[in-house]
Amino acid sequence: MNFYDIVFYLFAALTIASAGVLVFSRNVVYSAVGLLFALSGVAGLYVLLAADFVAIVQILIYVGGILVLLLFGVMLSQKGMRVDIGTGAKQLGPAMIVVAGVLVVLFRMIMKTPWALQSVSEFEPTTNKIGVLMMTDYLIPFEIASVLLLGALVGAAFIARKD
Amino acid sequence: MAEGIGIILLKFGFILLFALGLGGLLTWVERKQSAIMQDRIGANRASIFGLRLIGLFHPLADAIKMFTKESFTPASAEKFLFTLAPAISVFFALIGFAVIPFGDKLIFGDTVVNLQVAPLNVGLLYLFAVAGLAVYGVVLGAWASRNNYAMLGGMRAAAQMISYEVALGVTIFGSIMIYQTVDLQQIVHLQGGTFWGWLPAWGIFMQPLGFILFLTVGIAETKRVPFDAPEGESEIIGYFIEYSGMGFGMYFLTDFVETVMISAITVTLFFGGWQVPYLLADGFHFPWGEVWLLNNWTVALFQIASFSLKVMFFLWLQMAIRWTLPRFRYDQILRLGWKYILPISLLNIVLTGIVIMVLK
Amino acid sequence: MPNALKLLQNKFSDCIRETNCHLGDTSAVVNKKAVHDILEFLRDDADLNFDLLVDLTCVDYGEGEPRFEIVYLLHSFKTKARIFIKAQVSEPDPQVQTVSDLWHIADWYEREVWDLFGVSFKGHPDLRRLLMYEEFQGHPLRKDYSIDKRQPLVTAEGTNNSQITPTLEQSQQAMEEYVSEENGLSVRHMFLNMGPSHPAMHGVVKIVLELDGEKVVGSDVGIGYLHRAFEKHAENISYTGVFPYTDRLNYVSPIINNVGYALAVEKLLGIEVTERCKYIRVIMSEISRIADHLTCIGAMAMELGAMTPFLYFMQAREAMYQLIEEVTGARITVSYVRVGGVKADLPAGFESRVHDQLKKVRAELKQVHRLLSRNRIFVDRVQGIGAISTADAISYSFTGPMLRACGVDYDVRKTFPYSNYDRIDFDVPVGENGDILDRYLVRMEEIEQSCRIIEQAFEKIPVGNVMVDFTGKEIPAEKMADLGKFGQTEGLLLQVAVTDPTLLGAGESEHAEVRHADKRVSLPAKEKTYASIEGLINHFMLIMDGHGICPPKGEAYFPVEGANGELGFYIVSDGSDKAYRVRCRPPCFAFVAGFSKMIEGCQLADIIPAFGSINMIAGELDR
Repeated sequence: MNFYDIVFYLFAALTIASAGVLVFSRNVVYSAVGLLFALSGVAGLYVLLAADFVAIVQILIYVGGILVLLLFGVMLSQKGMRVDIGTGAKQLGPAMIVVAGVLVVLFRMIMKTPWALQSVSEFEPTTNKIGVLMMTDYLIPFEIASVLLLGALVGAAFIARKD
Repeated sequence: MAEGIGIILLKFGFILLFALGLGGLLTWVERKQSAIMQDRIGANRASIFGLRLIGLFHPLADAIKMFTKESFTPASAEKFLFTLAPAISVFFALIGFAVIPFGDKLIFGDTVVNLQVAPLNVGLLYLFAVAGLAVYGVVLGAWASRNNYAMLGGMRAAAQMISYEVALGVTIFGSIMIYQTVDLQQIVHLQGGTFWGWLPAWGIFMQPLGFILFLTVGIAETKRVPFDAPEGESEIIGYFIEYSGMGFGMYFLTDFVETVMISAITVTLFFGGWQVPYLLADGFHFPWGEVWLLNNWTVALFQIASFSLKVMFFLWLQMAIRWTLPRFRYDQILRLGWKYILPISLLNIVLTGIVIMVLK
Repeated sequence: MPNALKLLQNKFSDCIRETNCHLGDTSAVVNKKAVHDILEFLRDDADLNFDLLVDLTCVDYGEGEPRFEIVYLLHSFKTKARIFIKAQVSEPDPQVQTVSDLWHIADWYEREVWDLFGVSFKGHPDLRRLLMYEEFQGHPLRKDYSIDKRQPLVTAEGTNNSQITPTLEQSQQAMEEYVSEENGLSVRHMFLNMGPSHPAMHGVVKIVLELDGEKVVGSDVGIGYLHRAFEKHAENISYTGVFPYTDRLNYVSPIINNVGYALAVEKLLGIEVTERCKYIRVIMSEISRIADHLTCIGAMAMELGAMTPFLYFMQAREAMYQLIEEVTGARITVSYVRVGGVKADLPAGFESRVHDQLKKVRAELKQVHRLLSRNRIFVDRVQGIGAISTADAISYSFTGPMLRACGVDYDVRKTFPYSNYDRIDFDVPVGENGDILDRYLVRMEEIEQSCRIIEQAFEKIPVGNVMVDFTGKEIPAEKMADLGKFGQTEGLLLQVAVTDPTLLGAGESEHAEVRHADKRVSLPAKEKTYASIEGLINHFMLIMDGHGICPPKGEAYFPVEGANGELGFYIVSDGSDKAYRVRCRPPCFAFVAGFSKMIEGCQLADIIPAFGSINMIAGELDR
């Protein structure tokens, strides 16, 4: 086990442990904190996969943006401060069935995938390439996504307006 | 030869000392500068064996006070998050310094030391990511305090920081477009030359609008006057209303470290980072042809000194602003961010693009 | 104004019991049942137009019948006339019709009267105690409430009467259950206690806020945290003894309170002070006014985060305080004015020092103008914020800079000139919008006008012998007093003293310059006290308990322009050496009463500059 492996297992453990907190916590804010560390752990794994841009974007968008908005929303909700926002288990039976199904599918997929195991190649910056690809080969999906998001933004602003 | 772990730790120690030291010193600067601006004497009572040194011991006295005061946790607070939040706050404020280059290269023997803790090639993006995380300490602390005032402060902080984070990114797209990289060390290198042989090729001369916008947004990110609505000590006392002792001390320190951080980024992006005008790797080459050759160590020292001096200049500037202006109202801050700074930043991107096209 | 009385008598002939014109105050005693109609008539009549309810108070005549007299004081901006309407109410169950539907301010005035006298008002929407706490037993300004009576200790268990003070759980549950409707959605609002311990509430006011996000939906202002029972004390101490209490009313400009009280007593006695004394009072009042405005603007700027203008103004205020200290010997608790004069003359060389300090004030004014008046952030924070309409301002009985910011040109110094203000040329700045910006600008301009007044007063003040032009041997006053004490009075009366105005006494000639010669009120000069039997007797008659200043039976109201607005003292004398009733009409009471209205719909952050702009001084608010 070398240094690289140790770091990998550390990040993996962090991710799984905080994901556990996220799921099992009885308080939404604690779940959010769990999600914070889970997402950061995943970002760490990306770094180990030499995907520096993806890792940073993971933190920038998910941790820095979406999760903050989520917390903001929790706090703005009417009982945000005075009462614990509990999360409880409901519909235990059906949920178990669905989860078991998903688990089986995932497990089979992991087993059947021919993993291309490869040693870490020389570390290369990816930002530039991603940028070029976005603006050339993948321009149309990129623009479509942009327009979609813009539409969502306008729609949200419209709904939020009082008059 | 690559750097050993020891050298990385040394650099880490240096930058930590730099940030925390300046942060601590800033409490003294804040007192003294405001005193001078307001025709007062300022804090000068802390002394060691009767030695007062114009109040320089006050940061030390502050630290001792913070450490020895009782850290009180309100009965209704969320104990775990309440304790964790200030630490998160300081942590995210400090890790940003990892990518700030404070010098070029130091050579001993065959070891070349890059004077930057983590030579990340996505350095600038990393800075944004970290700046975005700073809000967690505030929001979690505010929520965990279970206090209406803290809650209002937390909500203000969250709204303000989300809004300004967007603007923060957009304001420096212009710089990224010019330098075509997000590696901070490289950006500094690219600011090394001169225009017309005498004007240092610093970012401010290429992005004057971007600089003003970035500094404004940066000050907003530090949550200090005039953008201190989350704190607003005369309105809602702030998100740290329930904190005492070191918990409060950490929030306090965060503010100052963020101030240093914003100065450091401004210097790196717009004022040539560690660059000294006309100083190349082997010494000074003045525009009138004179050349002073210097060895590598002296050059590195010049660079570190240059970086520190520039950072201190911006600290001074931020303090001067802080002690001159009154505070915005919370909705005015958001309006300024969304309705003025963001569109102007977008305009800056378009202008930069046009200029680059024309020059090509 | 017999005109108003005549009109009243024509219209309400059977309800008017008595009319009076005493010391220039027009008054009418009316049937209590008709009070509401009469006041409504006076307010709405096109010719009379008494639109400002200056004061509403009560006098308890103890054993007399009827026991209580409710006093309404009205002012008309149109005719510049005033009228007192009095309604007599008798025990048991003293009650009178409310006028809170005519004037907003009556709401709080009536709550105060209910609190202190136990006279209730029929139809009042919310008759709670105002100055006292809910658990207080009795009504403290009634004559049968002795001044040394004690109240039972309020403990959490002992008086946990949930009718009065809900428990924490009860209030939390009430908040949970309180749901308001908004656009068809049910909305839960946040409740926030602002104060009494809050940095911007100056420590002594509590505002309960109902917030929708940060928008203020409703609010309730609670006062009384600094109640010092000024009025009760004033009834139990000699007329001269009240001065130290008046210092503590508006403690930022105490001399104006001194002057107001002295003028009210002088009006009762029919005394006019000397010319020099009048100008001294003007000069000292204006210095205090400058200090007050500087504090108000500075504190407001500081609470907006602008620390630097605050400290600039504190320096200017320090200059003013040094002047005050030089004259009175104290910075805040001055007790400088006496009935019939002032304590002592201005010190030598005072005029030139005043001019120097005024230069300093003007320099700081200029700096702060540059820092704030056109500062975009500052203007955005205060323009259109905390605004109140002129009609509302009048209904809330605003006076002073607050009313002038609404565009009403009303200044007691112009309308009812006292102390030679009519001989001085100064402008009264008025605003337009009644918002915080206008209040700020009005105050800034008033500082400049006060400087002008002081300069003119120094030009006009008759030259008194401050440094005596003496021919004999020079001896200090205290030594002369000592000689007098030891009976070495030979030739003493011929000596002229060089005086230290803050010490034992003034030289006789100076004494005459600043004190009225009336033996009923003025202590004789120290030389006379120690050197002649008449002087000694006069001195003792004024000092001894049970003698002192005894104004004739009657009553008088005297308004002065305090730093915040009209500061009035209403004194009822029964001919003894203690006032029967002293009522102080504090200017900022009205502002705090109208504060809820002012901040309705504002942001939480706007409360702070709005509160700063009303310049609440708890000393005079709670008395």
